[in-house]
Amino acid sequence: MSAFLALLMQRIRRDRVQLPIWILGNGLLALFASVSVANSYGDPVERTGILLLATGSPAILLLRGLPQGADLGSFVFFEIFIYLALVAAFMSTFLAVRHTRAEEESGRAELVGATPAGRSTPLAATAAYGALAALAMGVSVTLGLVAGRLPPAGAVVTGAAVAATGIAFLGIGLVCAQIVHSARAANALALAVTGVAFLLRGIGAAAGTPSADGVSMTAAWPTWLSPLGWGEESAAFSTGTLSPLLLDLALATVAVAIALIAARRRDLGAALLPDRLGRASARGVLSSSFALAWRLQWPSMLAWALGAAVLGVLVGALAPLADAVTQRDPSLATTLGSLLPAGAAGEGTAHLLLGALFAIIGVLAAGSATQTIIRMRQEEAAGTAELVLSTPLSPLRWLAGYLALGAISIVLVLAAGATAALIGVLGAGSPGETPGTGSSVATGPELGDVGATAVAQLPAAFVYLGVIALVFALVPKATIPLGWGLLGAGLVLGVFGGAVGMPQWLRDISPFQHTPVVVGGQVDWSGGFWMLAVAALAVVATLITGRRRELVLG
Amino acid sequence: MSDVIEIRGLRKRYGRTTALDGLDLTVAAGEVHGFLGPNGAGKSTTIRVILGLARASGGEVRVFDRDPWRDSVAVHERIGSVPGDVALWPTLSGGEAIDLICRLRGSQRDRAAYDRERARLISAFQFDPRKKGRAYSKGNRQKVALIAAFAVPAALYVFDEPTSGLDPLMESVFNQEVARVAAAGATVLLSSHILSEVERLCTRVSIVRAGRVVEAGTLAELRHLTRTEISFAVEGVPDARVAAIPYAHDLAVEHGRVRFSVDSAQVGRVLSSLGDLPLASLRVAPPTLEELFLRHYGDRL
Repeated sequence: MSAFLALLMQRIRRDRVQLPIWILGNGLLALFASVSVANSYGDPVERTGILLLATGSPAILLLRGLPQGADLGSFVFFEIFIYLALVAAFMSTFLAVRHTRAEEESGRAELVGATPAGRSTPLAATAAYGALAALAMGVSVTLGLVAGRLPPAGAVVTGAAVAATGIAFLGIGLVCAQIVHSARAANALALAVTGVAFLLRGIGAAAGTPSADGVSMTAAWPTWLSPLGWGEESAAFSTGTLSPLLLDLALATVAVAIALIAARRRDLGAALLPDRLGRASARGVLSSSFALAWRLQWPSMLAWALGAAVLGVLVGALAPLADAVTQRDPSLATTLGSLLPAGAAGEGTAHLLLGALFAIIGVLAAGSATQTIIRMRQEEAAGTAELVLSTPLSPLRWLAGYLALGAISIVLVLAAGATAALIGVLGAGSPGETPGTGSSVATGPELGDVGATAVAQLPAAFVYLGVIALVFALVPKATIPLGWGLLGAGLVLGVFGGAVGMPQWLRDISPFQHTPVVVGGQVDWSGGFWMLAVAALAVVATLITGRRRELVLG
Repeated sequence: MSDVIEIRGLRKRYGRTTALDGLDLTVAAGEVHGFLGPNGAGKSTTIRVILGLARASGGEVRVFDRDPWRDSVAVHERIGSVPGDVALWPTLSGGEAIDLICRLRGSQRDRAAYDRERARLISAFQFDPRKKGRAYSKGNRQKVALIAAFAVPAALYVFDEPTSGLDPLMESVFNQEVARVAAAGATVLLSSHILSEVERLCTRVSIVRAGRVVEAGTLAELRHLTRTEISFAVEGVPDARVAAIPYAHDLAVEHGRVRFSVDSAQVGRVLSSLGDLPLASLRVAPPTLEELFLRHYGDRL
């Protein structure tokens, strides 16, 4: 028992900075979102209109919750619960992998495993710690909603649903960590499971049956396959049913049991999925530092590109709906417009939707570039960079290889998003198309807009590539926290800042806020050129300072 | 230029800690040079400076008469090296890692020779090249770096504690490979805290302690500095004669044997003074580097 407590305290201590950010962050999200929704949709008639529309065109429900009534609480729950639950899921899966598989991978688990603590106690400590973290997040969300002036009873149920979701995904994360060898793969697997859970509940909502009054819906069966759906079924502000949350707890119990059994039966460091043997000798292409970087990074690049493609498909799928929706609910255009840099006002909703989705695709492109630089830092910290830099490979070339790969990944992610959007637009019919005109004539400018919008995302992503590479060259140890931190800050300030009413000067700090906006074929590219200049400066500074630099181990 | 490595007054600071404090090291062409010292003495830091992976805070460093920091590529053209702590790519197989490093070192200039050497080394080191990087033990990770270092000819080989994860059988394979490249005229710098390894392989030795070289020379020269251990059975030897042994240090009688040490220069005189005694099972042991070490670090061991 003392070993258990010691391990539990060690986990809490190790995460003492990271975890409060997750927990408080989600509470603040709940607060801001409920205030912002109350401000925008204070009128019950307006809310009813939107819900009627949502139940009438269920594709929207893929990205929202399940309509459960027109009162303010239910409406807020409909708008944001799924995102609160997603944050809990991310926190829990990352936490589970960080304290189990990542520890084994680093070899630290061996130190602990050799003590009387053995192999099960660390896992049990992680499970207990993760459950406490999820409960804390539930309390934080409850407080956020209460502070946002929502009914306390519903706020408590929402908090319970967020906590239960977190606990369910904690179990999922623990099992994923047992299946594969590396923390990276375990995180990817857990993310994939989260994605499937998100899709299942989306499909369940979209295929649901509207009630007679049209402001609430009964979800179809796929929702019941998803832990995210169970939280939604608590219907916190209408019926306030806690029983679906028992499913979360049951799943977590079974998952923790499976993880414990697996950990007890396998060797430390081994995984349920056996490691396949590799090639005895390398393919011919693996003969340069760039080829190595490509080999290490392509699965991640593919994942970013797939994410962009999914969003791209949504451009095409949702565009035909967009204008129809706006006619009944002008506030949607306001919401979409708020996601875009200033200057997009007055655009048609289809254009706004295109811009808003591509703003997020642009963040994905920047994320992919950021991760490429982070990979370079990980190579340095792990000591593998030393192996290649002890050969006649110049440090400049090594650095330039990763910069080139970062640039390529930006282009790949944007191209994936643009290609998917073009296919979607062509497939769905152009939003600007009017009946009777030749489709080729009408779709021309629309397709051009997709291309121009995709190109417009390049400069901000290049700023991230250059600036984070410069951080790597100057303060290597800050690369990873600062890289993800800057990306997150850019996303919150630049993309979501408008929706929660941040002042423009604050939003202007984010590169994404300076992304050129494609307005009906006319584009003010100046922001883009400025950002390209900044990116180029950063890259040059990186190459000059990085030409000769000491390797800094982790 | 007959010296491959010339280091004078090398200083290296990391923040407030001083890793190297005026280190001198000279390695002549063709010699197998042992670089001895306890953990934390500065061996790995010196090697990182020699490889141009760390920058000297002060002093002069020449490798092949070049500055390894400014001309790292030109210097690396002629070096095969093994780091002290070999990290591998988790998703690359050992064989892929070997090929990658060797290709960066120019193995493709003579592919046939490389393929031959690679196959020979993989079998000599009994290495399975198909496993993924994360699945290898410390010793097997070390083998990847060793095979990659030996598979492409170099003028200078730099090994940082190369046998720390190897079993005795593999150690002897390593010794054979060092002997092979040395016979071919290459220079070898070998850091270690295992004295027998250095004794077996090296022609010259530098002993480093707390960031400085405290002793340098051939093994014979260094042995000069130490005492020879002499012992024999006490039976039949009068106590008075035992007490009168000249030049004896740390004289003791235990477990039925007289035991003492003598400065190496005095061994002849001591032995002749014992000539008329009925000596049984006389043992005269030349000093090992172990003792050399104990003398230098005795205050800390």
